[in-house]
Amino acid sequence: MNRSYKILAIGILACVLVIALTPYLWMLLTSFKGRLDILSPEPTWFFNPTLSNYPAVFIDKDYLPLLYNSLAIATGSTVLSILIGAPAAYVFARASFPGKEDLFFFFLTTRMAPPISIAVPLFLFFTTLGLTDTIYAVVIAHTSFNLSLVVWMMRGFFAEIPKEIDEAAMMDGRSKLGAFVRVIVPLAAPGLAATAVLCFILSWNEFLYAFILVAFEGRPLTVGIPGLITPHGTLWGQVAAVAVVATLPILVFTFLVQKHLVRGLTFGAVKG
Amino acid sequence: MMNTTIQPSRGRFLLDRGASMPLILPATVLVLIFLVGPFYYMAYTAMTDLSFANPDQNGAFIGLDNFRRLVRSDPIFWGSFWLTIRFVVAAVALEFVLGFFLAWLIWRFIERQRLLTTLLLVPMMLAPVAVGLIWRLLLQGDFGMVSHYLRQVGLLSQSSAVFSTPSLVMPTIIAIDVWQWTPFVTLIILAGLMSLPRSPFEAATMDGAGPWRQFVDILLPLMRPIIALVLLLRGIDAFKEFDKVFIMTGGGPGTVSELLSIYAYRVNFKHWNLGYGAAVSFMVYLVVLIMCSIFYKAVYWKSAAERA
Repeated sequence: MNRSYKILAIGILACVLVIALTPYLWMLLTSFKGRLDILSPEPTWFFNPTLSNYPAVFIDKDYLPLLYNSLAIATGSTVLSILIGAPAAYVFARASFPGKEDLFFFFLTTRMAPPISIAVPLFLFFTTLGLTDTIYAVVIAHTSFNLSLVVWMMRGFFAEIPKEIDEAAMMDGRSKLGAFVRVIVPLAAPGLAATAVLCFILSWNEFLYAFILVAFEGRPLTVGIPGLITPHGTLWGQVAAVAVVATLPILVFTFLVQKHLVRGLTFGAVKG
Repeated sequence: MMNTTIQPSRGRFLLDRGASMPLILPATVLVLIFLVGPFYYMAYTAMTDLSFANPDQNGAFIGLDNFRRLVRSDPIFWGSFWLTIRFVVAAVALEFVLGFFLAWLIWRFIERQRLLTTLLLVPMMLAPVAVGLIWRLLLQGDFGMVSHYLRQVGLLSQSSAVFSTPSLVMPTIIAIDVWQWTPFVTLIILAGLMSLPRSPFEAATMDGAGPWRQFVDILLPLMRPIIALVLLLRGIDAFKEFDKVFIMTGGGPGTVSELLSIYAYRVNFKHWNLGYGAAVSFMVYLVVLIMCSIFYKAVYWKSAAERA
């Protein structure tokens, strides 16, 4: 009886898995298909694979710089968010001062802010600074929302380090900064790494800020893909090739941080 | 439990007030400049007639006129508003029921969960732009793989395409959102289920309570904070939905799938009507802010208090 329920459950989950993965698999297959296989009205599951879509879009259409931009933006905003956010998170975890929880909530509202509301003033602001169409504008925009993720996530990780360790480090005669960097940071390293990876993913996947702030030179991959879609004769093989390059690294990263994903996605509210 | 045995000690502590300030200040200042600044700028712009499309409208202060127009005589805004609400309610409800069910199945029947949950996560970790593209490809009229199978089972007529059939557009967008975000619900509910204490269930079994009674009387009440958390986080995110729909339909055909953020985008960046656009953006922000406060009050204050 129990056993047959179990088989039923596994059957349902297997179906769900197929539904969850097939669309992505199709995109992956499409990126290795020639034009005729893509346009065939009967779906082609088996075909002669070709690698030509990748060089066609990344080299002939010059999409390689977009990959570089994506990397630079995500790395830049991750490093900035961690450098600025982690110390603040430590303060939230350890110190107490009036209005602390209000300030903490204030950081959350910035994470939740709809990009479409923030984008227009930010666009005008960066235009004044002459920073539109550079990756710096996007790095800063992404840092603003990643920063609050760092503060919210790292507070929990720091809070898990016993306060006695702080004291022991201080008794060793280290300076405050020395104790923080040499003792606390290494202890929080797994959490720090998970947070950094999540920041990287969020920035890499982000579309709207980048779409509004950069038109050409500083475009990351997410902004570049829609440009390949034309009303007539979209080259789907090339679109798929870019989409695969834009998503595969993220899937690898997801695998790495899966343990801390729940915490990151719930702003530390669920430990996972 | 630990807190009762370990007394908080004073004095030899890494942070005194003097050390806290320089650590917390940069983050606060950055957020102030790049998020709160734009917010106030938006609120101000919403009270002007600024437009890049019409040289006569150079940003004169007009008080609350934009909001008056928006609330009283903009049927497109209201259409878009209710469309967004219907989208959020339908998508989040389906994701919740489905996601909860899957989490429960995994929790109850599967011992080695790691690989399964990792694979389930794929849809939600893809860039939303990529999700939009994937489904646009799958639902292409002439050669889309899903279109083909939909036709074979008779759900789609021979010559039509999903995104050019107005009655199919929103249900499809909701289905795609469910495809993408159900794993999110599953993941978090599963984490909640895994952390449930065993003893209430054992006691109930001894009292002879069946599985359904246990589910309703013990599991659901224990899971309430996590359920609230999931619903709010998904609700806030769904309300902000832009990327996928923008890529798949651009809000069309006509305004059939023009969610609020897409309407805001159109007013701001297609019509360049920035004053009025700011008023629209402000309304979007307002709704998100309200949901966010509920999130904080309902879910977070408890765990924050535990940590403090």
